[in-house]
Amino acid sequence: MEVWLLTLTLLLYLLSTVSFIVGLFSARPVVRTVAPGCLLAACVCHAGAIAVRSLTVGYFAVTDMYEALSFFACLTAAMGLLVQWRLPVSILGAIVSPIGFILTLGVYVFYTQAGALPPTLQSAWLPIHVTAAYLGYAVFVVAFSASLVYLVQEKQLKQKKASSFLRRLPSLETLDHLNYRSLAWGFLLLTLGLLSGAVWAGYAWEHFWIWEPRLILSVLTWVFYALLLHYRSAGWRGRRAATLTIACFAALVVSFVGVQFFPGRHGGQFG
Amino acid sequence: MEVSLASLVQPASSLMVVGLNHHTTPVELREQLAFSDGALDASLPRLVDAETIREGAILSTCNRVEVVAHTPDLDTADEKIRAFLAEEQRVALPHFAPYLYTHTNQEAVSHLFRVASSLDSLVVGEPQILGQVKDAYNVSSTLGTLGTVLHRCFHKSFSVAKRVRTETSIAAKAVSVSSAAVDLACTIFDHLEDKTAMVIGVGEMGEQAVRHLRGRGIGTIMVTNRTFRRAVELARTCNGTVVPFDQLDKHLHLTDMVIGSASSPHYILYSGMVEEALEERKRSPMFLIDLGVPRNFDPRLNNLDNVFLYDIDDLEQVVEDNRGERQVEAVKAEAIVAEEVEKFWRWFVNQEVTPTIVALREQAEMIRSREVEKTLAGLAELSPQAKESIEALTRSLTNKFLHPPLAYLKQRHHNSAKREAEYTQESASPHVIRQIFGLDTPEE
Repeated sequence: MEVWLLTLTLLLYLLSTVSFIVGLFSARPVVRTVAPGCLLAACVCHAGAIAVRSLTVGYFAVTDMYEALSFFACLTAAMGLLVQWRLPVSILGAIVSPIGFILTLGVYVFYTQAGALPPTLQSAWLPIHVTAAYLGYAVFVVAFSASLVYLVQEKQLKQKKASSFLRRLPSLETLDHLNYRSLAWGFLLLTLGLLSGAVWAGYAWEHFWIWEPRLILSVLTWVFYALLLHYRSAGWRGRRAATLTIACFAALVVSFVGVQFFPGRHGGQFG
Repeated sequence: MEVSLASLVQPASSLMVVGLNHHTTPVELREQLAFSDGALDASLPRLVDAETIREGAILSTCNRVEVVAHTPDLDTADEKIRAFLAEEQRVALPHFAPYLYTHTNQEAVSHLFRVASSLDSLVVGEPQILGQVKDAYNVSSTLGTLGTVLHRCFHKSFSVAKRVRTETSIAAKAVSVSSAAVDLACTIFDHLEDKTAMVIGVGEMGEQAVRHLRGRGIGTIMVTNRTFRRAVELARTCNGTVVPFDQLDKHLHLTDMVIGSASSPHYILYSGMVEEALEERKRSPMFLIDLGVPRNFDPRLNNLDNVFLYDIDDLEQVVEDNRGERQVEAVKAEAIVAEEVEKFWRWFVNQEVTPTIVALREQAEMIRSREVEKTLAGLAELSPQAKESIEALTRSLTNKFLHPPLAYLKQRHHNSAKREAEYTQESASPHVIRQIFGLDTPEE
């Protein structure tokens, strides 16, 4: 059931990717309603797969590499859907859909059979800590996407290439605004993730903090985002903010992937 | 049977458009032939009669005068419309006859659809024409000169225009420098309601740009000019505020868009000045539109972050590209029109054919059942099986007899996509079938 749902999810992500890309070049209004529909269906299926897994194992399934990746992919797609539903930024769908697709492909690679939950992870803090942190990451994907589109749009405007593609992209102001808002929300969620992690560590390890690569990298990323947000509110807008958002996101990805190579006490095998 | 029928007549009724437009006809002549709103009310009823022109409408704009008609007789109707135009507008027919065109049937429908979709306009994609077609429809509808066919034809033309508008970006491209500038503003800014634009100088281009901005709902407009009095004049027409020319730099940080249309031998805006303004406005983007020749703004301003500078040549280029893209979009639009013409034509032919098919079947069934009844009345001793056989026999006979004409009518319906020329040669109208089978003569 779970694998079956995941396969369906993968197909829907692919369909959504294709229809969003077609939507970028086609003026037909049909395409623009079909694409979000596909993405919504993909999210629902994906959430279904996670729910099935959680019910099977009897705990919130976000502990190993496979589960965590799947959860993150689902959150990212859902976040993209949410934002493009509220703001005129359908281009976002064209970015989060392929991300969802690729991550779900990764989910297949790391697929594991459901196992028992290690005793260290048996805590009510698990869902809080993981959800806050991953939601924060998902929002940062949105900030990253907005910045990427901003740079494309800005370059076209500066070089005076007024193609019809340009007109389909959101305005610079919309993108910059989205960048700011998602940075702020993402930062808030990331902070919550770190704090809940610290509290949980306080209970589980009797230390709020241990010197371990995973934790250090996470805090370092947090500091990067804090600085970015600070300079943003001080008036770093537009291209500079977009470039830095991309740099911060790169740092996030590096720490995310990098920590996989360091053994440590931090629970789970991912993030 | 088909051969003999085919050589007989033309289709029962036809659609036609007779008129002239800006493509071929000089404006002096168009003026003379144009109908004013009031004149239309008086003239239109004189065009439509029961015999020649069953339904009619007149589309009269500054670019075209066209009569759309539904008629059973194309040639007579064509003559009548020409004479009508000459008479109503008091212009001798030979004077304008060379400019007139006549489109018939599918071509007439196609023409109306193209006009409504703004594919036949001087500026392809301009939005006014659809409103004008709607007005023409409303006037004739009120006067009662429309029947089922033209009602539907006009309604179709509206929906075709809507399809063209939503499925192609034919109307989305700006084709004047000032509207291109405003379009660009919308790719930088989310909405213009809370934005401020400053116009430097009172040149005509600047004035046009301001009008466009007002049309798109810009929040505030500031006007500045070396001669204060002229700034006041412009500010009054566009409901803006006046800024003294020597205080320009003090107001610069308040403006999201600056439009230069002054005639000045040297740059009015240069880097230092704009950078200061940017600092003050926390690097919110600024859109600089330089419509002046020689240029009003230092071209190096475009290198500043969050500053977008377009001069007149850049904008001309945008307009040029848009024109090219419009041509591409026009091809898509033509395909939509062709598709819709086909659909409409199928309906048109069908609405002629279906009643004939039904009438033919009903007549045959009536004759059959009456004759069977008569025969069976004298054969009371027959077994139920034998009676059943007689029923079956008669039914099969009528069906066999009806098959060729019915197949012919249905085929006529399916072949409606054929070119009109072939069409009139190969097919006879349902009208002829009705005559041959006496469908319209009352039963004695």
